[in-house]
Amino acid sequence: MKEIEEILKEIWPKARKKHLFPQLPMPQVVEGGEEVALEMKSKQLQISASFLEGMKGLISLEEALEAVLDHGISHYMYCPWDFHTHLTLYSEAKKALKDKRLAQKATSYFMDVVANTYCVKERETKLPELYRRLPKEGVQEILASLYQKIWGIDLGVEGDHSERVRRLARIPYLEKRLWGESIKKFAKVIEDLLEEEIKAEQGQDKKVPNPLGEHSLDNYSLEEIDRGLRSFASTVEDVQEFKETIEDLKEELSERGYAIGGMGRGEGNPIDADLLYYMKLAENYTLPIRKLPLEKSGDLHPYSHSPWEVGKPFHDIDPWTSFGKIMPGLTQTWVRREGEIYGEIESTPDCLIIIDSSGSMTNPRERLSYAVLGAACACNAYLKNEARVAVYNFSDAFRGNKLLLEFSREREAIYRAICRYFGGGTALDLEDIAYLLKQADQPDIFIITDMQITNLEKLIEFFSGIENRVTAVHLGHNVHTARFREGLKKKRNISLFLVREKEDIPKIVLGKIEEYWSSSL
Amino acid sequence: MRNPFEEFKGQATKRREIPLDQILRSKEETLSQILRGYENLLKNEAKDLVWLMQYSTVIKAYTIAEEGIKGIDYTAEDIEEFCYALDKTDQIPYLITGPAGVYISALCNHAKEDEITLRLQDLNVKINLLGYRLPEGKRLIVEGNVGDFTGIGLDGGELIVEGSAKNYTGAGMKRGRIVVKNNVGFNTGHGMTGGEIVVGGRIKGLGKIVGGKIYERDHLIFPSEEMKPFFF
Repeated sequence: MKEIEEILKEIWPKARKKHLFPQLPMPQVVEGGEEVALEMKSKQLQISASFLEGMKGLISLEEALEAVLDHGISHYMYCPWDFHTHLTLYSEAKKALKDKRLAQKATSYFMDVVANTYCVKERETKLPELYRRLPKEGVQEILASLYQKIWGIDLGVEGDHSERVRRLARIPYLEKRLWGESIKKFAKVIEDLLEEEIKAEQGQDKKVPNPLGEHSLDNYSLEEIDRGLRSFASTVEDVQEFKETIEDLKEELSERGYAIGGMGRGEGNPIDADLLYYMKLAENYTLPIRKLPLEKSGDLHPYSHSPWEVGKPFHDIDPWTSFGKIMPGLTQTWVRREGEIYGEIESTPDCLIIIDSSGSMTNPRERLSYAVLGAACACNAYLKNEARVAVYNFSDAFRGNKLLLEFSREREAIYRAICRYFGGGTALDLEDIAYLLKQADQPDIFIITDMQITNLEKLIEFFSGIENRVTAVHLGHNVHTARFREGLKKKRNISLFLVREKEDIPKIVLGKIEEYWSSSL
Repeated sequence: MRNPFEEFKGQATKRREIPLDQILRSKEETLSQILRGYENLLKNEAKDLVWLMQYSTVIKAYTIAEEGIKGIDYTAEDIEEFCYALDKTDQIPYLITGPAGVYISALCNHAKEDEITLRLQDLNVKINLLGYRLPEGKRLIVEGNVGDFTGIGLDGGELIVEGSAKNYTGAGMKRGRIVVKNNVGFNTGHGMTGGEIVVGGRIKGLGKIVGGKIYERDHLIFPSEEMKPFFF
């Protein structure tokens, strides 16, 4: 082991230079299994001493070590590069194979082929020497045969796999933009072999090892997983695709300590893929909030008078109202109060999110709901500004189809309330809203609906009578939205936004008030 | 001042060529030749404005298709690639499933391989006329569903559809064998004079059949007591 460590110290700087100095720590040599050479945990490469010992006599230690490092670094530098790419590849493979384990295996092998081929094409590497000496069975034999064909280097493969290899060799492995299509083709060609491999694993009760290491969530840090999920949520076609992929990886994510509680990590409730989807998607948007100069000055200022009595301090006596005399009953003293004067530091009020989840709205668990996404973005914006958020989710509120969440900073609870879908009629119980508004000091209101509300007139009347800042977002355009706009056009504390597509969401400005807006300019 | 990039001078800047590059280049070249042939066929067919599925139209289109593919060195994988290119509007200016099917059939009938497998499960369009005039000694396996007029005028070859086919499957076939794993549509075997059609699932309806045999779920349904040969 010491010998390997010595060689590693010598080879690592050269390998880093060859790959243009990747941001990776010095690899570790560990006592591991003989069958797997490399493990990557977060960014830490771990090389199995037993594997290298086993290769002695077949290939020099230096060459084997260099090849293993090249392989590991290529995964880091080229494919998968990040967790988002890994997820995307897995999702595409799953579409083709319709099975979680098959898709995981196909993804792993595909990433190996891409990383190895990239390394062979772009760098001086000993990978072919290593592959020549590795055992070749099942998928590994096919891959070695493929390498032989596409690298043009003899790897000593004997079996005839010409038809399969011919198909595999037509895949543009180094075309990143085509990886989605490529992995589907790749997976279909080796599908039967993957099935055999899984059957063999079930028979032997152990995994068929991938000699140069497995690809799993262990390869990524929690931050990378977070970032990957965020990008994945914004690139998938719909919530179902995201859900399917996350459901498949649920166990691994939980094992890794990833749950949606709090900031998306740490111990918490089991992962709800729908919630996670909206959470991660909403993180891609930043909605601006107009802050209010609500800061109290903290100074005590004279507020009202009270009669002076013997024993009360003299310094608060108001000589003007006391006729210049100090006499109990005649002399007046100032009562001081803390002033609610606008200071220079602005702050964000709490927010009540009113979301319509009636039948005319999209079910957020089936398709991407702009209402939920908009509400989630608003929630994020207020929470980020250390404000609290309450939720009023309604459908036919008078029949009990409503959900009230009092002011809170618990992101998961808020998201759960936002994502609730009733799918019935549309009526608001204004008493509920009045009740929630009383729970905070002049909170903002964010309402998102298609405005097809049965008691819209009452809502307009209600909004006419309040001074809270209201951000009203309507999805699509109809007579009801026109009526709402018309009914409240004179109210300066209400701003109206239209959302037709996802791209309209960033245009929303929370808490925009014309008066305040103009005075701050 | 020392050049900070000095130590990278030895780094290879020219990209190494590996056989994969050559394979991909030749694949692209072949595909573009096939596409040119198809465009040529479309240009000719577009003159008639409306592509009607008539005996004479198909024969004419097939002759032009045969001309278009002359001299192209292609494999079964290239044909499959072309089928997927039909799905993408950026590669093909417009898709007419009739001429496309005739063209693919011509490609299959003139391919070097005796056995051709087309994996078309992920195709969005259902191609018509696949297996048209498939000659003796050729075996065409299609994974996925196909459209109308599959295997018409089959001429001794074996067409296996691992999916379903639509109407007029095997119409006018002379000899050979068509196997459809799942279901077929109406007018199956219309005008066929020989050969056999084996359907693993359900046949919606038979056409006017002159000769040959048709099996539905292992049962011979033509000729039978209820279905006698038709004389035109």
